[in-house]
Amino acid sequence: MILPRFDVLTPATVTEACALLAAHTAAGVRILAGGTDLLVELRRPIIPQHVPRCDGCPTHPEGAVFSTIDCTMWNSEPLMAAGGSVRAAVKPPAFLLSLHKLRDLRGLQKRTDGSLRVGACTTITDIERSRDIREGWTALAEGADNLGSPLVRNRGTVGGNIANARPAADTAVPTIALRATLVLRSTSGIRTIAAADFPTGPGKTIINPGEILTYIEYPAPAKYSGSAYHKLANRKALEISTVGVAVYLALETPGGPVADVSVALGAVGPKPLAAASVGPVLLGRIPDETAINDAARAAMEDARPIDDHRGSAWYRLQMVEVLTRRLLKTALARAEGKK
Amino acid sequence: MSNYRILNTRARRVDAVDKITGRAMYTDDFQRPNMLYAALLHSPLAHARILNIDTSRAEALPGVKAVVTWREAGTVPYGVSPARYDETIFCYDKVRYVGDEIAAVAASDLDTALEAINLIKVNFEELPLVLDGLTAMNDGQPRLHDQYKNNMCAEVHWHFGDIEQGRRESHIIRTDKLTSKMQDGAFMEPQSVLAEVDAQGDLIMYSSTQAPHYVQRTLAMALQMPLHKVRVIKPAVGGGFGPKASCSTAELATCLLAMKTGRPVKITFDREQVFLHSRARHQFFHTMTTGIKKDGTLSFLDHHCILDGGAYASFGIATIYYAGSLLGGPYRLKNMKYDGYRVVTNKPACGAQRGHGAVIARALFEVQLDRLAEELGLDPIELRLKNVMEAGETTCNELFVSSFGMREALEAVRDSAAWQTKRERAGKTHRNGKGIGAACGFFVSGAGYSIYRSRTYHCTVITKVDEVGGGVLVQSGAADIGQGSDTVLAMITAEELGITLDDVRVVSGDSKLSVDLGAYSSRTTLMTGHACREAAQDVKRQILSAIAALLSVPPETLDLKDGFLVSLAGPLDISELRREYLREHLGFTDLPEGPQLTFAEAGRIAFLELGAIVGTGKYKPPPLGGSFKGAAVGTSPAFGCSAQVAEVTVDLETGRVTVDKITGAHDCGFAINRTQVEGQMQGSMMMGMGEALMEQIQYDTKGRIVNANLAEYKIPTALDMPHLEAIIVESHEPHGPYGAKEVGEGAIMPVIPSILNAIYDATGVRIDELPITPERVVAALRTGGK
Repeated sequence: MILPRFDVLTPATVTEACALLAAHTAAGVRILAGGTDLLVELRRPIIPQHVPRCDGCPTHPEGAVFSTIDCTMWNSEPLMAAGGSVRAAVKPPAFLLSLHKLRDLRGLQKRTDGSLRVGACTTITDIERSRDIREGWTALAEGADNLGSPLVRNRGTVGGNIANARPAADTAVPTIALRATLVLRSTSGIRTIAAADFPTGPGKTIINPGEILTYIEYPAPAKYSGSAYHKLANRKALEISTVGVAVYLALETPGGPVADVSVALGAVGPKPLAAASVGPVLLGRIPDETAINDAARAAMEDARPIDDHRGSAWYRLQMVEVLTRRLLKTALARAEGKK
Repeated sequence: MSNYRILNTRARRVDAVDKITGRAMYTDDFQRPNMLYAALLHSPLAHARILNIDTSRAEALPGVKAVVTWREAGTVPYGVSPARYDETIFCYDKVRYVGDEIAAVAASDLDTALEAINLIKVNFEELPLVLDGLTAMNDGQPRLHDQYKNNMCAEVHWHFGDIEQGRRESHIIRTDKLTSKMQDGAFMEPQSVLAEVDAQGDLIMYSSTQAPHYVQRTLAMALQMPLHKVRVIKPAVGGGFGPKASCSTAELATCLLAMKTGRPVKITFDREQVFLHSRARHQFFHTMTTGIKKDGTLSFLDHHCILDGGAYASFGIATIYYAGSLLGGPYRLKNMKYDGYRVVTNKPACGAQRGHGAVIARALFEVQLDRLAEELGLDPIELRLKNVMEAGETTCNELFVSSFGMREALEAVRDSAAWQTKRERAGKTHRNGKGIGAACGFFVSGAGYSIYRSRTYHCTVITKVDEVGGGVLVQSGAADIGQGSDTVLAMITAEELGITLDDVRVVSGDSKLSVDLGAYSSRTTLMTGHACREAAQDVKRQILSAIAALLSVPPETLDLKDGFLVSLAGPLDISELRREYLREHLGFTDLPEGPQLTFAEAGRIAFLELGAIVGTGKYKPPPLGGSFKGAAVGTSPAFGCSAQVAEVTVDLETGRVTVDKITGAHDCGFAINRTQVEGQMQGSMMMGMGEALMEQIQYDTKGRIVNANLAEYKIPTALDMPHLEAIIVESHEPHGPYGAKEVGEGAIMPVIPSILNAIYDATGVRIDELPITPERVVAALRTGGK
């Protein structure tokens, strides 16, 4: 893997980081946390990425030709961008702002109200190994279990996984289902946003240039609640899910009706999605076989899958139902203390 | 069990410590003073005419030492099969796939080289694409090469026996199809090349190749150099599986740049380039009609196959022949018809990959056997046992099997996997997601003929005793690419000379040392093994004759054993020889004592008598095969065979297949190194499982690979691997050294069909498209798997 040239900024505090970020926005800066997504994205293309089209100019009297280098008189869109592995040609940033010195952003803090504050630079391995998370926010632990490989999990961070905004992100999907709040910081202050509202499309979020994702806050789980995540993929590690589903379910009492439910879907839309249709179907009902089947079918209505090289829209839609059904049952068992 | 001291054991590989500790030197590990870095300009378009190439801006970039295109490289056609030379070092008239090489740059650092590549301006006229192998030969399709009318690179039409007669004798006849996708070798080490020209003007190239000899020939031919002035050296290689068995543009261009600049030049592929260069598994479209008699005897096979080979011929002619010929065994099949078509398309060229040409054909045929068994109401293993060949038989396409442990292998996996019990249990809960399936395989143990027409020996080995005595050096051109051939050569030499493995050093993989056709067609243990044994025996004869003359005893009464020269005819008086040796070593401690001469003494004294003790060995197969067109492909001095049982669990809702266990038995004739034989079997199971369940190169509509990396091109991870049981069957091949024959490729043959058959057992549906992704399983389940 060959990287373009860039300079690395290494702020020692969050305040300094925000200032540096603001100062370098114009020149082009990207935030570096674990680097497991960013460096792969920045790698230098092996074959020419742009083949612009020229319909005839003094240097291209042949007309209708394509060139691997620029021409001042291109009069239409490039014939193609990217080759080999298809990916959009990204202009490499002049600077990377590394968060590795910001100790405050790494680690977990369970608060007196039962909620959990997770620093954005907490590694996936830290999440995976946290007993608190596995007990209280199981879906997040299961997302971490399934992300990449041990090497990736040791470097990758939960903040990076969420901010990178891939539709299949293994910690973003449970984070939405668990109704977490994201804390964004910039030189002009702090703002918070619901995790479900953060991504806007593939690789896109509501984050402003100059803002850093600093913390993810997971609310306290209800007394009789459970959560679960499942990643469907072709192999057991180093995978991007074909479909990923996370479920949070709370009961009024064990054996009683559903007090709260939240379902999030991964890889079936341009971003991780909250399946809003499930709640109305399940709330207040005893979660029996019929209720769960109804809820699973309802989740399909929220999915907006496409065909791509990892699977067809048809298959993904079917799997939303299967996984939602299974995960509702798992979360139910956990809510009733059966794990 | 055996009378050998070293052979047939689990001796430690000679390269184990170097590789584990990171000391082994791979091509990319080499640095040279003043070394330049090369980069290649790959075509971004799949099919286009080149109108103009302007390298002036690249040449002007500071740090750039040379830019080469077809103008510098010439347009000497080359390729793999001399009958189909269809490549040039660089494209000059057209590009034929995304990745086709147009130019190369050498610069003082890699960044500059890559920057220069982007400054080369190429004007293209885009041409219509041919991306679908099935329709590539249709009239009206754009043509890739002038020489391939209808994009037909090679076709085969064979008819052995009489399939009409076979039809008449059949009780059941059925037709089935199986298609696959192009696949990648996914070896660990990307291709790497370092070329330099020495002070004598010799071109020396280090390359991660499987076949130094063929690469040497191609370099000399395409670069128009005398053969003896070209030397190819293969350092440690991290796997090949076939794609590294032929000369590449990376090798040719790097040599050209070294010649042009007079400086060492290196290139190492990015993983994406490994995919672009490909030369890996073809895409296969098989249709087979097979008939069977009421008693379960096979009556005929009518086989039709289209092979999508990408843009160039590469190994493709051999591939299309192998796809047909290797169905001649391991079952008695009197009537076989084969029509094979290998087409070119605007995708990276396909070549040889483990189980060359035969893997997908084998998969469909073994699926057919299961379907026929089901229709006949026979157990699938029983049906196979009814039809297996025995040693001494000849297939309908004139392949003679001199040893054949097929029955033993099949019975071994049946018993070891508790087939009967599990089939019965599965019978009750049939289609409940748990399944078991079996299949067999058949493969050559070395190609009977070299790729170019020649009477050439396929290998020579030169073994020399250290003049100081004690050590032995084995020189061979054989390519150890991780399969362990150096260890095999060391073990054979140590066995023959009665010494320890540590007394033997092997230097290999260098075209200057000896000729060897390379690591392909599972040939090295049998062929180079023969030559190595002959060389060691030559050495032994010389030592024994020198000592015998000094002691005035007949040489046949002497032997080398356990590190000593021993007498088979009563005690010897060695005192005079011992005195001489001790006199030479005044001041040394730990000198030999006791009544027998050590190997070190014997070797030293033989040198004092005769000069250098150098033994040579050679091997080429006897004339093999029939006289029909293409009869040479598929011939071999011996054939390996194998059987496997796969057990799977299928999630009937998600379609996710988990392989729980694979039990395999392979007849390797005789295991020179038991651990290495098992390793080849386990590696084959892993690779076959990946090809069955996950591996597929995917293209977009412009012919670009969308998954040219190991994140998106899936191979099994350690977590995906089931329990593997490897059973060694030894049938003692009369044409192999010590009875040995292949295991490297044959063991992959039954993997895909045993998994396909197990999935059917688990689900009741048949999958006719590989890989068996969860989605394909779900689709089959929902449509009933037609």
